[in-house]
Amino acid sequence: MLNFILRRLAIAIPTILVIILFSFLLMHSAPGGPFTAERKLPPEVLANIEKKYGLDKPLYQQIGVYVKNVVTDFDFGPSFKYKNLTVNEIIASGFPVTIVYGLWAFLFATLIGVSLGVFAALKHNTWLDYLATSTAIIGSVLPNFVMAPLLVLLFTVYLNWLPGGGWQGGQWQFIIMPVIALATSYLASIARITRSSMLEVLNSNFIRTAKSKGLPTQYIILHHALKPAMLPVLTSLGLSFVGMVTGSVIIDQYFSTGGIGQHFVNAALNRDYSVIMGVTILVGTLTIVFNLLVEILYAWIDPRIRY
Amino acid sequence: MYVDNKKVQDLADNLSDSNEIEGRSLWQDARHRFFKNKAALVSLITLSLIVLFALVGPQFSPWDYEEIDWDAMGDIQTMGAPSFSSGHYFGTDDLGRDLYSRVIQGTQISLMVGLIGSFIAVVVGTLYGAVAGYLGGRIDSAMMRTVDILMAIPFMFVLILLMVMFGRSIYMIFIGIGLLSWLEMSRIIRGQTLSLKNKEFIEAAIATGVKPFTIVTRHIVPNVLGIVVVYATLLVPGMIMTESFISFLGLGVQEPQTSWGALINEGARTIQNGTLWQLLFPLFFFITTLLSFFFIGDGLRDALDPKDR
Amino acid sequence: MKTMLTTFLVLILSSLLSLTPGYASNSHPLTGEKLAENQVFYYRIGAESPSIDPQLVEDVEGSAISRDLFEGLLTQNADGTLAPGVAERWEGNAKKDSYTFYLRKNARWSNGDPVTSHDFVYAWRRAVDPVVSSPYASFMELTSIKNVSDILKGKKPTSELGIEAVDDYTLKVSLSGSLSYFPSMMVHTTTFPTHQKTIEKHGNSWTKPGNMVSNGAYKLTEHVLNERLVRERNPMYWNNDKTIIDKTVGLIITDENQAYNRYQASELYKTEVPTGQFKRLKKLLPVETHSNPRLCSYYYIFNMEDETLKNLNLRKALTLAINRNIVTDKIMGAGQIPAYSFTPGSTANFIVPDTEYGKMTQKERNKLAMSLLAKEGYSRSNPLEITLLYNTSEGHKKVAIAVRQMWKQVGIKATLENQEWKTFLSTRDAGNFQIARSGWCGDYNEASTFLDLLRSDSDQNDSNYNNPVVDDLIVSARTMDDPNPNYKKVEELIAKDFPISPIYHYTGVLMLKPYVKGWPHQNVEANWYSKDLYITAH
Repeated sequence: MLNFILRRLAIAIPTILVIILFSFLLMHSAPGGPFTAERKLPPEVLANIEKKYGLDKPLYQQIGVYVKNVVTDFDFGPSFKYKNLTVNEIIASGFPVTIVYGLWAFLFATLIGVSLGVFAALKHNTWLDYLATSTAIIGSVLPNFVMAPLLVLLFTVYLNWLPGGGWQGGQWQFIIMPVIALATSYLASIARITRSSMLEVLNSNFIRTAKSKGLPTQYIILHHALKPAMLPVLTSLGLSFVGMVTGSVIIDQYFSTGGIGQHFVNAALNRDYSVIMGVTILVGTLTIVFNLLVEILYAWIDPRIRY
Repeated sequence: MYVDNKKVQDLADNLSDSNEIEGRSLWQDARHRFFKNKAALVSLITLSLIVLFALVGPQFSPWDYEEIDWDAMGDIQTMGAPSFSSGHYFGTDDLGRDLYSRVIQGTQISLMVGLIGSFIAVVVGTLYGAVAGYLGGRIDSAMMRTVDILMAIPFMFVLILLMVMFGRSIYMIFIGIGLLSWLEMSRIIRGQTLSLKNKEFIEAAIATGVKPFTIVTRHIVPNVLGIVVVYATLLVPGMIMTESFISFLGLGVQEPQTSWGALINEGARTIQNGTLWQLLFPLFFFITTLLSFFFIGDGLRDALDPKDR
Repeated sequence: MKTMLTTFLVLILSSLLSLTPGYASNSHPLTGEKLAENQVFYYRIGAESPSIDPQLVEDVEGSAISRDLFEGLLTQNADGTLAPGVAERWEGNAKKDSYTFYLRKNARWSNGDPVTSHDFVYAWRRAVDPVVSSPYASFMELTSIKNVSDILKGKKPTSELGIEAVDDYTLKVSLSGSLSYFPSMMVHTTTFPTHQKTIEKHGNSWTKPGNMVSNGAYKLTEHVLNERLVRERNPMYWNNDKTIIDKTVGLIITDENQAYNRYQASELYKTEVPTGQFKRLKKLLPVETHSNPRLCSYYYIFNMEDETLKNLNLRKALTLAINRNIVTDKIMGAGQIPAYSFTPGSTANFIVPDTEYGKMTQKERNKLAMSLLAKEGYSRSNPLEITLLYNTSEGHKKVAIAVRQMWKQVGIKATLENQEWKTFLSTRDAGNFQIARSGWCGDYNEASTFLDLLRSDSDQNDSNYNNPVVDDLIVSARTMDDPNPNYKKVEELIAKDFPISPIYHYTGVLMLKPYVKGWPHQNVEANWYSKDLYITAH
């Protein structure tokens, strides 16, 4: 197992380098640049600005300089759009915010989703099954950009219970609505995959044996069924987590949390090359780490899986 | 002494006359079980009705989907409300265009995006994931690392580039969205394959000399079909949502065409303006279709699981 | 003994009273209105600014923040007229190519340093310094200050810029030609002073709260990216006694409907009216809904190098067939003004000229459009096919859709193309379009800020309009005492050549809580200052 982990970590580094290369080339091929503006810059001024940010050098040199800075000082460069900020500062201010509400949303979605899924599987094909499944689905079927305004209308405008947005260091009142809006999107997929996976496991021989031995249902579920049923759920959870981080754009925009999801889209639209690269590397690293975690968990759950 | 030949002859005739018992294939079994699932059946009917609506609906409307009703334009709250007399059965959108026709148009586009995109994702993802999981070792590693890389690349760029290089056609959107979603599918299938390949029947197949590719197609794929189907039915709504997010950024379906996502987006902005129909009608179609896909997916999963009797 | 005690008590009491910050629970010194306890102003910022450094500011929101934190030579009154800022008085020579500004002696930076003419010299040189590469360096070119073009091209050092500190409190500016409206350009953020020692000490991070040293009525106390920006009273400001608002909090909310939700919950006191909601909100909340004329134009530009659009008749037909009243009344619906000429009427000293097609009825315009199209062989059964490019936005989309339908009625078939902002800009810049949507807000309150765009060698001339007569008129107008006759001629030529199709002149629409007073509704440049606002008891 240790060997496996080390091998994967070793491969991770060239993987990230390839990600950097690919993204770099891709973003430079998109039309427009960070300094394309309505008020056009006189050509001399534009030339100066490009020189200041190193954009006048050939692409291969730019990548070289960039990688060197990242590897030696962890310096992701200055933002091209926000003239007084560096990418490190932008990520440092946004990432913790997204992680906080992302983790809460993840917890919320997992607990409720798995419970609903198990419940639905147990009451398979009864009206309770349909009820549980529908509940999970309704929440996820309302898109973020409908859920968010509805939440604000309800809790801020009519009831005046919660502030309509902001973060202010992450006090609880500011976390609630973003978490609800984000978690409900993933609730359904977690619940449904749990349900179908649980159904398959419940029909397998070893469960039948356990039942015939007279073990109580609860025991069977917790001690025998849950672990093997979790396999596809895990994959989905792993993907959901990264998705929650990168897909939180609408949450950030709507609730003015200052999180990093917003940057992901805005940087692309602004052609803010260094922020794009910084965020891509971040997401790439997260994806790799999470996939590794998920695969380790696979092996723990199903001892027959060998690497 | 022979037994009465005629009686034996008659018996023999009877036996050969009676119809051969038709074997029931597993697929027929599955179909039978599917139709017994009430929720799935109702959903199938609902979905067919929606598709029918999308095809035939335009015949019943005096307005087309891009015509502006100049009279309604200035005062949507009153003049744009749903009514039979004005011919705006679902009311109008914020610009005075007939919502009924636009919802139909949106249904056509969204269903196509969802179905075609999911189809691409399923086919590519399943084959890729099953091959990777089955072959294992370094090939698996390489294939999955490629997936990692592709997943980490900001999909915004890929979309902008696709739109710019190939123009703003609908097909580009289908392909673009489909190509981005097969990645998740392949990971899930690979996971399932990993646990499947250690089962006894695969061992048996290898032992009897079945070629790897045949094992993948004839043994692995049908057994992961349950998860594939469930996941695919989750993909369809996901595609439709992705499409609306893209429209949000100005990269989606070009005006005057529209999609559910675009309509819901516009409707969500006007919640407070007394024009709720602009949100409710497209949302109704959206939710109903998604629910139908979910229940059909569940029905299929139940039907295809050989152990669930 | 008794008098000593009383005097002592009076002294204590009066010193206690003078310690009270601001005017809480007092009344307004001029109008006598009762003021609120809490003089904090909350408002919506639509997007995070790329920078609030005065020489780097390029967006409207950033300018508002800079105007609170810094103060330039001059500032504006609520009606847009010039008022003394750091400069107490100013004068220009007879030729109007040299101006002298006399600075007040009690202006201070937030760390106590006096504001001197050297701070302005430093700042202006910074604005044109190639190393700093300010996106608004071209604004300095518009001021005609001596040597600016050569410095921008790198031919001369920044020390050759035509600005001189005669002594610590006297500033002399030399222009390369006469410009009568030069003083009105001194309210622009690019000309604001900046504190040299602070910038040299902190480099790029000097704009962070705690690092920043500013000379305006407020100083920066909090700045969380994409969340909020807070500025609080600067006691060192020379006019601090007159400032009533203690704190201004800007909340960054991208979605205008969400901003309106929070306005309803009174989390904000000012926000923009969501697109298309003006009529409804004016009925619902008449006192809070405002529509003020703005110094901006909305228009479609024709690419005059395109084969089809080289034809004047077609350009004219396209322009005539647009029913501007429908756009302003039914789509925008917030008091916008249908435009048949380029420069908005709200521009100072500008009189909107009558244009021939502006005087017709829409029916007559459509008829003329159809006959022009017929001359070129087009009709409803054989429509002219053309593409219209616009950038992603609900508002632009609605106008484009409506215009497309209007064109359909006279025999023009338009394909709509919508691109996201940067892609749109680079497409338009490269000339890969036939018709493109455009908008322009004046950099200063004078007609040349608009008309200059149509000069054949202007960087902003995306339609590639080339009329030497227009060029001459614009250049010679700069040195004229009364340039209006030239401007009138230019507008008449625009209405004859149709390089663009003006659509409407903007209004600024905002929701403002009734207890926020002092808002400069008459200022067409929409320059507002927190120090001029106050909140009444509510």
